[in-house]
Amino acid sequence: MIDIAVRIIVYGAVVGGIWALVASGFSLIFGVARILNFAHGIFFILAAYLGIVLAKSGVNPYLATLISILFVGGFAVAIYTGLLARIKEHEVMVIIVTLAIALLVEQILIIIFGEHGISYPALISGVLRIGKTPITYKRILAFVVAVVVLALLELFIHKTRTGKMIMASSQNYEGALLVGINVDRIFIITMFLSAVLAGIGGVLYTQVFAASPAASLKALIFAFAIVILGGLGSIKGSIVAAFIIGYIITITNQFLGAQWAEFAALLVIIAILVFKPTGLFGVEE
Amino acid sequence: MRAEMLKTDFKKLILGIVFLVVFAAAPAFLPEAYVYLVGMMFLFLILVISWDVIVGYTGQVNLGHTVFVGLGAYTAALMQVPSRFEGSVDFLAGMPQAPIPVSILAGGIVAGFFGLAIGIITLRLKGFYFSLVTAILPLVFLKSVFVFSDIFGGEEGFSIGLERSLAGDVTLRYYYAFVIFLISFVIIYFIVNSRIGLRFRAVRDDEDLAESIGVNVVRYKILSFVISSFFAGIGGAAIVHYRITIGPDLYDIPLMLLIILSAVIGGLGTLYGPLFGGIVIYLMKSWWLRSLLPSIPEWLPINDDVILYAILIAVGVLAPEGIWGRVREMLRERAEAESPQST
Repeated sequence: MIDIAVRIIVYGAVVGGIWALVASGFSLIFGVARILNFAHGIFFILAAYLGIVLAKSGVNPYLATLISILFVGGFAVAIYTGLLARIKEHEVMVIIVTLAIALLVEQILIIIFGEHGISYPALISGVLRIGKTPITYKRILAFVVAVVVLALLELFIHKTRTGKMIMASSQNYEGALLVGINVDRIFIITMFLSAVLAGIGGVLYTQVFAASPAASLKALIFAFAIVILGGLGSIKGSIVAAFIIGYIITITNQFLGAQWAEFAALLVIIAILVFKPTGLFGVEE
Repeated sequence: MRAEMLKTDFKKLILGIVFLVVFAAAPAFLPEAYVYLVGMMFLFLILVISWDVIVGYTGQVNLGHTVFVGLGAYTAALMQVPSRFEGSVDFLAGMPQAPIPVSILAGGIVAGFFGLAIGIITLRLKGFYFSLVTAILPLVFLKSVFVFSDIFGGEEGFSIGLERSLAGDVTLRYYYAFVIFLISFVIIYFIVNSRIGLRFRAVRDDEDLAESIGVNVVRYKILSFVISSFFAGIGGAAIVHYRITIGPDLYDIPLMLLIILSAVIGGLGTLYGPLFGGIVIYLMKSWWLRSLLPSIPEWLPINDDVILYAILIAVGVLAPEGIWGRVREMLRERAEAESPQST
């Protein structure tokens, strides 16, 4: 009994930390540029696959991880400037085009790597035991990295000049333009940050679990559930909600089985929309 | 002005008659396999034009249209093979086999009611909630097919048996599909061109303005969604009776993308556009892409879905108002340039 409790507490925190990274990236670009990015999940999974490929071809795993995370950042900027910036005013098309990008990438990944999961090269090995519960260092690493990155994100947004400009653009687009902020540049920076957060999440997730093309849609579903629970556009809300969802998923996995995780996410979303549509920290639009 | 309207009505009428004659005569000179394919296309067109009602006419981006297609399909299939409920939901297992029109209608009704429930929850909220929730639904329903595979048949699905198809003969089945399509099209046509359709468009173009002149925005959004879902269910149920098998592909995302692509290429909110987009995309996927694929070098990670997604991205970015709309605009501009005196 105590084992199960320990496992749920630890595993939930790890999963929550990972989804917090992914969801805060999703929330960031929505809050700032009003882009509902259905392609967010591909940054998550592309970083993982690129890291795996690089590491297998002999690159140091840490270097491979760094390269692949920066790559998805660059990829996101390319998608934004090449495609999304042109249709930003056309909300319907932004949704359709980003969804098409997500499915295009997923399909290509299926053709190259197959549908089955492959695991990310170990960045750390070893097992810690709490009582009878084994906890791999990979999980601990994932949790620590997630918390550090989220803390850095918080610092960046509130303490640096660029971060404040990002905040200003998200609060009032025209106001930001008026005081001389280059809003287009801010959007590009935000897109980069958003993808990097997803990429880190992807590497950490596939360390602990495995990379499969379908994981990108899974990441997207959980990101939706988290931002709806936390309130659309609120980063703080996303982080808190990620841990709540993380625990819900872990408990579902523990007692019902992994195939129920999506049902659980949907139920949470429906429940929030029925009882508190603005989410925990959202503002009325 | 009136003469102008008559003229365009006349053009539409001619086009409509040509459309009817061509497709009514098609089985006479097409090989049987193609007849089957074109019949299937009609049922696909129902899915496309019904999607256009909620997205094109009312401006609410529904990414889960296939959920309603699948709901209609599984409803119809299970009404034909109620024995699949044995051991799980026993009281349904004793259900008598329903006549085919009843099971198609039931497919639409179940889908419509589910649309009503989802609509009440999500459409009363402004913003992006509707798209987010409808995007998740297909994935959840797909999972349900595998989790409850005793009933739904899992990956392979199940067959309802040839004797429960629309008709044993392929040509006759083609005409049934054609008629189901025509009935759906005419009903949808009258709805979107009625006062109700006018309100749908008012909601799409300016929600606040529509509200201020007394349109109950939420109610019309939900109404539009229910109509759209109902016809998606009809289409899904008809597909089951057309091809005799049911499987999770009817819930799946490739079908969703095919619907979106057809409507986007044709131009949202025009009904005719998505109709022609649907014909082009369906035939292209079934004929041209199949023959094109072997010519693509093996090492390129490309299949037909990849090509369709790439086309969708290109069209979405380059011609968000649709290729059909683009062409029409160009024709109109040319006509205006030629006869500057007409207004």
